[in-house]
Amino acid sequence: MTLVSDDHPLIVFVGAGGVGKTTLAAALGVASARAGRDTLVMTFDPSLRLKDALGVGEEAREREVRVELEANGLLDASLLDARRTFDRLIARYAPDAPARQRVLGNRYYQHLSGSLGGILEYMAVERLFEVAAGGRYRQVILDTPPTRQALDFLEAPSRIVGFLDSGALRVALRPWFDENGRLKAAARLGGLGRRAERFLDEVVGLDLLRDMAEFFQAFSPLYAGFRERASQVEDLLRSPRTLFVLVAGPGEERIPDTLFFARRLLQAGYHLGPIVVNRVHPEPELPLAVGEPPPGLADGLALLAWLGARDHRGLVQLARLLADDQPLVELPLRPEEPTDLPSLADLGAELEDRLADWRRRLRREA
Amino acid sequence: MDLAARLGRFELLVVTGKGGVGKTAVAASLGRLLAAAGRRVLVLEVDPRENVHQMLAVSPSGGAIVPAGPRLWVQNLKPRQVLDDVVRERLKVEMLSRRVLASPIYEQFSAGAPGLKELAILGHALRLLRRRTGSPGADGRDGDSGASRDGNDRDRRRGGNLGASRDGNDRDRHRGGPAAPELDLVVLDAPATGHGVRLLAAPRLVSEVIRDGPFGALAGELAGFVDDPERCGVVVVTQAEEMPVEEALELQAALATQLGRRPELLVVNGLFPPLSPDLSRPEIFDPLLDEEALKSARAARPGLVPETPQEAEMLTFWRHRRFLNERELERLARFWEGPRVELPQLALERGPELTAALQQRLAAALAAISAPPPPSPAPAVPTPPPAGPPAAEGA
Repeated sequence: MTLVSDDHPLIVFVGAGGVGKTTLAAALGVASARAGRDTLVMTFDPSLRLKDALGVGEEAREREVRVELEANGLLDASLLDARRTFDRLIARYAPDAPARQRVLGNRYYQHLSGSLGGILEYMAVERLFEVAAGGRYRQVILDTPPTRQALDFLEAPSRIVGFLDSGALRVALRPWFDENGRLKAAARLGGLGRRAERFLDEVVGLDLLRDMAEFFQAFSPLYAGFRERASQVEDLLRSPRTLFVLVAGPGEERIPDTLFFARRLLQAGYHLGPIVVNRVHPEPELPLAVGEPPPGLADGLALLAWLGARDHRGLVQLARLLADDQPLVELPLRPEEPTDLPSLADLGAELEDRLADWRRRLRREA
Repeated sequence: MDLAARLGRFELLVVTGKGGVGKTAVAASLGRLLAAAGRRVLVLEVDPRENVHQMLAVSPSGGAIVPAGPRLWVQNLKPRQVLDDVVRERLKVEMLSRRVLASPIYEQFSAGAPGLKELAILGHALRLLRRRTGSPGADGRDGDSGASRDGNDRDRRRGGNLGASRDGNDRDRHRGGPAAPELDLVVLDAPATGHGVRLLAAPRLVSEVIRDGPFGALAGELAGFVDDPERCGVVVVTQAEEMPVEEALELQAALATQLGRRPELLVVNGLFPPLSPDLSRPEIFDPLLDEEALKSARAARPGLVPETPQEAEMLTFWRHRRFLNERELERLARFWEGPRVELPQLALERGPELTAALQQRLAAALAAISAPPPPSPAPAVPTPPPAGPPAAEGA
């Protein structure tokens, strides 16, 4: 199989933190551009070296930045920053300046350090949608946040749609508070209402609820468009043409993590492409040397041999647990992380090479 | 006082670091080490998938507090469960609480309200620690064996205002109900999402947004707890590679600017062994591809030159990894301001053996460092006045 293909205009890299997703996404971007295709790599949290390698800085948070690469296709890179996308979106869609100020100045909005049920993550997907709809690229490669929560990020659109359809929003948009900041219903409902108000005040504090209600109200002109876009983004992610590449760490101990991810992706209706076991230590041909290795060499070589054997065992076991038609490839750990364009190109080419004959390789491994 | 003794004096140690650096292994071995030194320790994990139990050779806890050795317990905590319990215990009517728990507003609120999960985690830790000083006489009995599982009346009364008296035993155990031991210290294996700073900054953030009510009071109280450099400490775990080191340094900076404090310790995990001076000399490697040069090098330095091409390849690999390690160690030496220990990459699978081996090395490394003088309390951020009545009851 191959990832550099018009069959897959969107490729999403997922996996646990620290397995090398971002580097692989960049490497595939370079490979795609070298194959003559205009490509965009959207990434979340690249290392400084990778940013240097791609030649992108902070400006990539605002727009797509051209990577200086000698290739037949163009390579652009952008950094996803949910908060900035959100701010920009509010600036764009708010009907007037006071409405914009109401949202931006809302205390609840300002304190959204994490996410409001995925709205922030959703904003990043919004940007993806803009790009996909723009049609400037033959291939878009999306890196996902560097945590196990990558899947929450993918589920953000459907969660938003669920929220908008649930009636919760209608409830939130009702004018709950009178001008004195008291709950309106509380007065109407007598004793029960006062009890409800007291409960709410005790548990979350009326202040916070007022801020939230204000936030939703200030935000409401945006909702109709949101709902439509959210379901379109969801369609895009679930399209059979959108392929998910699951990057996994080596070693037996990572297998449950890998299977967990694969299962969640399939259950959610996404199309799982290859599983890439990354940074596999070289496997020693045992016995490593005849007799005892010399004392100076012993520690390091024994450790490397152990790591190589461990990673190889993990690979064999993972292959056994996966369906026969599930593409699975390994990428060896390199002495140095790829940190410039030539080494990224090299890594991208190796990934494509290994994917091309993954069946044969796998049989040999087993 | 050495550093191990100083770490043992905290009530909460937050172990944080980027995913995949061995944070859980370090948290487990640190827990064992402090328990061996005489403290009663709970290793608290916040992860949808349980891992700590494996490091300490006990079965998955399913949310319960499980004994894992002398003076040592483990628990896997689901923050959402803690929040649900708070709602249940505040809304005494079962039907009402079911409706609240099932409502989409609550769903959105609990998933999205900033700081809420972090508050639940820290609040849980503080509540467990508080049992120690609560109702003398009723508590001593548990002692080292810890987990007496019969929920007798005395225990139920103790846990009464935590909602432990109404429903099934499962929840009691989850919340640290009757089975909860007395603890001196909680080692928190913090979630790998973002920085530990978010966890530690949450109480202050929430206490700014919610000023009154039990949540506001709890947030204020937790902010005081977290800010107290005598009670709550931070241990950062990293590997000597670019991204984890970057993140560790960012964490150090964020702790200083946002919370006005420094981490107690940096653990650099998974180091490749250093090469002996003989082996790290480039002339050992450069002629490797040249048969003739290799032969003469072997003759000149018997036992120190790889015998086979594969050995040579692996030696090159080792040298590169170690070089990478040393580059990052150098960066840490320049920019990391606090104490720092190094742990080797060991040829051991995740499990109790690895935990024990790391514990031993950690103990040796910590004993060699004398504790820095206790820092003065966080100067950068003023502590808010205690908000309302103490939140000991309820949330």
